Amino acid sequence: MVAGTGTDTIIDSELMQFAPLIILLPMLAFPVILFLGRVFNRNPFWKDTMKEGGIIALVVMASSLIISLLLIKDHLGGFASMKDSVDFLWLNSSVYESGNLTSISFGFGIYIDHITVMLLFVASFLCLLINIFSIGYMNTDPINDNRNHRFYAEFVLFCSGMLGMVLADSFLWLFIFWEIMGLCSYLLIGFYYEKPSAAYAAKKAFLTTRIGDVFLIIGLVMMWDMFGSLDYDVIFSAVEDETFMAGVSSSTLQWALGLMFIGAVGKSAQFPLHVWLPDAMEGPTPVSALIHAATMVNAGLYLVARMFPFFGSEYLQHDLVDLAFIIALIGGITAVMAAAIAFVQHDLKKVLAYSTMSQLAYIFTGLGCAMFLANTLDWQTDADAHYIVIVAFGAALFHLFNHAMAKGMLFMASGSVIHEVHHAHHHLHHHDDHHDDHGDHDEGHEEEFDAQSMDNMGGLASKMPLTATAMLVGSASIMGLPLIGGFWSKEGIIANAWRVALEDPRFFLPAMCVLVGAAMTGFYMSRMWLKTFAGKPKTEVAAHVGQTNTWIKIPLFVLTFVTLSAILFAGMGFTHWAPDSEYGLLSEKNLFDGIAYEMSHAFANGDTFFFILTYVAIAIGAVLGPGLALSLYGGSLAEGEKVKPWMKPIIRLNAWVYDRYNFDNQAIANSGLSRALENRLYFDHYYDMAMLKIVAGFSDKSAETDKNVVDGVIKKIETGTQSISKVVRSMTTGSARDYILMVAVGTLGIFFLLWGVA
Amino acid sequence: MILLAFVSNGNARMRARLVGPVRMACLVFSLLMLVLTTGMFFRYFGDVTWMDIGFNEYEFEHKYTWVESLGINWAVGLDALSFPMVWLTTFLLPVTIIATWNEKHGATYFPLLLMMGGALIGVFVSLDLFMFYVFWELTLIPMFFLILKWGGKDRKYASQKFFIYTFTASVVMLLGLITLYFLQDPYSLASSGTMTGRSFSIPELIDNARANNIGDNWYLGAQMQKILFVMLMIGFLVKLPAVPFHTWLPDAHVQAPTGGSMLLAGVMLKMGAYGMFRLPISLFPHALYHFQLALMIIGMVSLVWGAIVCLGQTNLKKMVAYSSVSHMGVILIGIATMQPMGWAAALFMMFAHGIISPMLFAVCGAFKHHYHSMEIGAMRGMAKHSPWLATSMMFAWMASLGLPLLAGFVAEIMMLIALWKMISVDGWSIWWMVGPALVLALTAAYYLWSMQRTIFEGGEDTQPPASMKGHAIPDISNSEKFAMLILALFTIIFGVLPWIALDMMDDWTIQAFEGLIIPLLKGGA
Repeated sequence: MVAGTGTDTIIDSELMQFAPLIILLPMLAFPVILFLGRVFNRNPFWKDTMKEGGIIALVVMASSLIISLLLIKDHLGGFASMKDSVDFLWLNSSVYESGNLTSISFGFGIYIDHITVMLLFVASFLCLLINIFSIGYMNTDPINDNRNHRFYAEFVLFCSGMLGMVLADSFLWLFIFWEIMGLCSYLLIGFYYEKPSAAYAAKKAFLTTRIGDVFLIIGLVMMWDMFGSLDYDVIFSAVEDETFMAGVSSSTLQWALGLMFIGAVGKSAQFPLHVWLPDAMEGPTPVSALIHAATMVNAGLYLVARMFPFFGSEYLQHDLVDLAFIIALIGGITAVMAAAIAFVQHDLKKVLAYSTMSQLAYIFTGLGCAMFLANTLDWQTDADAHYIVIVAFGAALFHLFNHAMAKGMLFMASGSVIHEVHHAHHHLHHHDDHHDDHGDHDEGHEEEFDAQSMDNMGGLASKMPLTATAMLVGSASIMGLPLIGGFWSKEGIIANAWRVALEDPRFFLPAMCVLVGAAMTGFYMSRMWLKTFAGKPKTEVAAHVGQTNTWIKIPLFVLTFVTLSAILFAGMGFTHWAPDSEYGLLSEKNLFDGIAYEMSHAFANGDTFFFILTYVAIAIGAVLGPGLALSLYGGSLAEGEKVKPWMKPIIRLNAWVYDRYNFDNQAIANSGLSRALENRLYFDHYYDMAMLKIVAGFSDKSAETDKNVVDGVIKKIETGTQSISKVVRSMTTGSARDYILMVAVGTLGIFFLLWGVA
Repeated sequence: MILLAFVSNGNARMRARLVGPVRMACLVFSLLMLVLTTGMFFRYFGDVTWMDIGFNEYEFEHKYTWVESLGINWAVGLDALSFPMVWLTTFLLPVTIIATWNEKHGATYFPLLLMMGGALIGVFVSLDLFMFYVFWELTLIPMFFLILKWGGKDRKYASQKFFIYTFTASVVMLLGLITLYFLQDPYSLASSGTMTGRSFSIPELIDNARANNIGDNWYLGAQMQKILFVMLMIGFLVKLPAVPFHTWLPDAHVQAPTGGSMLLAGVMLKMGAYGMFRLPISLFPHALYHFQLALMIIGMVSLVWGAIVCLGQTNLKKMVAYSSVSHMGVILIGIATMQPMGWAAALFMMFAHGIISPMLFAVCGAFKHHYHSMEIGAMRGMAKHSPWLATSMMFAWMASLGLPLLAGFVAEIMMLIALWKMISVDGWSIWWMVGPALVLALTAAYYLWSMQRTIFEGGEDTQPPASMKGHAIPDISNSEKFAMLILALFTIIFGVLPWIALDMMDDWTIQAFEGLIIPLLKGGA
């Protein structure tokens, strides 16, 4: 039995009948919260006890998570896929083809296989945790008072869209839920609608992803035309059917998949449709954490992962290599570009946004390489090849898992920092007011002070120990420090990229990109942590930051553990990224065998080339990059500040390196490249210009043309008719002589006419 | 009988004077009509499933001789093509009345709306060419007065342009209809009149045409069929409207009162599409194939040009009007694909747009009513000042740009699939896909752009627009809220469960293909 194809057996689980509830519950909660929020707005019970809908959302998301976990548990045993028997018919129609009417129908069902299981866990788990976080974050900020119900309503609708996309059994419904997520993303980025920058960012996000979606929908239509259906099980069994595949043009299929991939590029913010993601940080931080880091941006990856059966098909061997290369290349370019831009960002959330982009790009590269391997190796029959392909595919998916967990946590931690810096600022200036009684002072300051800028932070490690720890673990996971979360998967992606590069020299570029990217990641993640938590407070405000509330702490605590124990998930064979199904909780080999296998695979695989590669990657990702950051940023904490014991070595190391090797980097910081990076390589600028000059200019001209030329012709006809009628009217002279003449002419005319006819 | 009652109700109410009772009476009558049509759908009145009726066969048929010597009959009947439109009309009437509850001069306004509804229903139920034409022109009259009396600044120009423009086109159509009448074989039809030996009966004409349109045999001859097809199509294309005959629409919409716009966009435009299916397509399928490319081009141009011009508009209502032009392009493309799915897409687009566009215009009307301006950017930060209006606007805009699970998306995806099928089966160029793709993005662009400048921005220190003259900014009234909610609800219902309406449309297209197109392609089978 093979992972990835997953269509060999269809098991029916009794739980499957509850699966639609995972989607329906949050979807129904959307109008409920919105309605209650409108009716009970400002009601103390609604506000304090119900948290303006937060509790309803919490209950709903918890139920979704429980059902999801039960389903996942059922599935953990094997590779088989489950298809729901729920038959919801969406629409029926028919087409005329070669003399026959063929009836077609689109329905909805639930489809669960190993890719679904992993994303289902990620989505439902993070939705719940971020919901908890939101209660701590949104409801304690007076700026959100009396409109949080809107946040929670849109939040649950988003969760519904995400879970729906993961569970749907066809590409069509994937697209439908995909768009719903896009809508929620739009609404939530524009949550602070009064800010012009938020309005602009929301529009930009929707439009940019929409451009990708247009390609996606055309790809889907092409796909439907080839297979006569968009259901996964129909398509995936068709690609394994020799007689059927004989009639399919592989180049058309490659085009269809390529167009769908453009949709994924838009949704997952990859070059060149990446411009929306950094601006999307205008939304509230829980939104950034959930939508723009942990779940929605994974939709594109999910779509590409879903394409695996095409690449793995025996009958398409070597046909889809170009597409695999493009996927890997886009990933490689974005990985390096986003990491470079992240070097110079000052805004805490922007660094994380570019980091998200860069890490998603890693996964794309990983998927592209896995696709290449699946498409070139004879993996369905050859055991060695099978092993290679599954490990490569698994590494990419595992990175998705690790990244979602770590990035969700990082965003929540950054939210916690921003929240507290903001509060400290408020607190501080409130006191100022108290002393010198300047009413306007506070407001004047409010606008200048940027609670998200890392230049206003520093030395927070001692003040927010849990947040600092969570951020540390998250950063380490993203950087790929050995033994922590992302390490396991990142090594796999780098190794596989090089494995492919050895086979096909074109892949040398993406392979180089991901290797260099590892060092860059090490640098910018360390820079972020050090600027925020190490060194001395850079502003008065940073010195007065306090601890966060419990709602915020819970998810940080939980996710720290999940990130640290990623290896356990791998060892359990949780989502089958291990090469065979024997590892797992419910299988013969136990957890420790699984871990031992992962360890030996990561650190000591037999091949010399990969052995060296692994240690090179560790060296540059975990030593070179962070080392550079240690020498440039941070430094010892302020006098008398104490940190938790596990952070002490890092602070000490930082202080030591900073004191000894700090150098002046002003020359680099002022260089043209640095300026270009700060301006995001001018992509946004040129896109905006193109929109403004070309699209808007052309449409304005068109509107004028429509008014002057198209309608102008009609107006000409109007005035023409009027002038003719004027001439006719002028004949109505009232003089009897004229009339007699006209009668005479008329009679003669009729006479000649009749004569002529006769 | 039932349908007769609708029409006479509409006319009888005209005479009443007092606003309150008239309004109530109009609402009650329109609701009664809605109950009737909904009952028809649920088989409460008459056991009709609207499925498997058969092409060119009708339910609820009633026939009275009108002018015997000429073969004119009062003949009504419904099939799966006309029933959704009739339901839509009866659905929109009460909604329109509620949405514009406080319109001035109510004593004449509401009866005019009802008369309009009666005339529209008349068009959809007519099974007689003469009657069809009479009702067709009758719809112009209430609309003309609605624009003239309740319209904006340039209402005189707009109402005359609207009337003359569409009337001129209808005259071309009328000439076509009369030619068709006289070209019949005398005494060939069952209900032929005694004097001319010819008939105006649509079902009999279609049957006659079908019997002759087999294989390479053209009913009435190839040349004449093409000419008649074009003449009829001109009338319908102007009504639809398709570029380049669309310029009456923005003027009419911008000047028309909200209720007029709602009915105009909701149902009146669909008369054009309905007429196409009922007459030229059913009678002259050969000519349809002949002009397939032309139709496709007109459809594409309408679609793309409408969207581009939308992006250049600064007037909210004008933008929405042009978006109608763009959406009507979808109908033409659907027809031109010559796929059952494309036709079903066209039918569903008629229906979906009939629900969404009234909401668009209701939003525009409320905007104008409350902010005394139609300019995009006259009011910013609406989300703060009028949350209900902002929500309705967001919903309507999203529905119109084709958000999945809302009604508009169903038609769009079906059209795309049918278009692609045409490309892959009939070997059309792949470039035909570029237009719809472009428009999918452009539509999002103009809607989002207008939302950014109305709903968003503004903030705490927003000044009311100058047009408000310092008055506080109100939210929409309860009746408007109610109307919006109803429209939104049905947009969702038909988006999530499109088969409610789509099944019968799909059935009609299958019947039409089996009865009309396949005999054509397969020869004399």
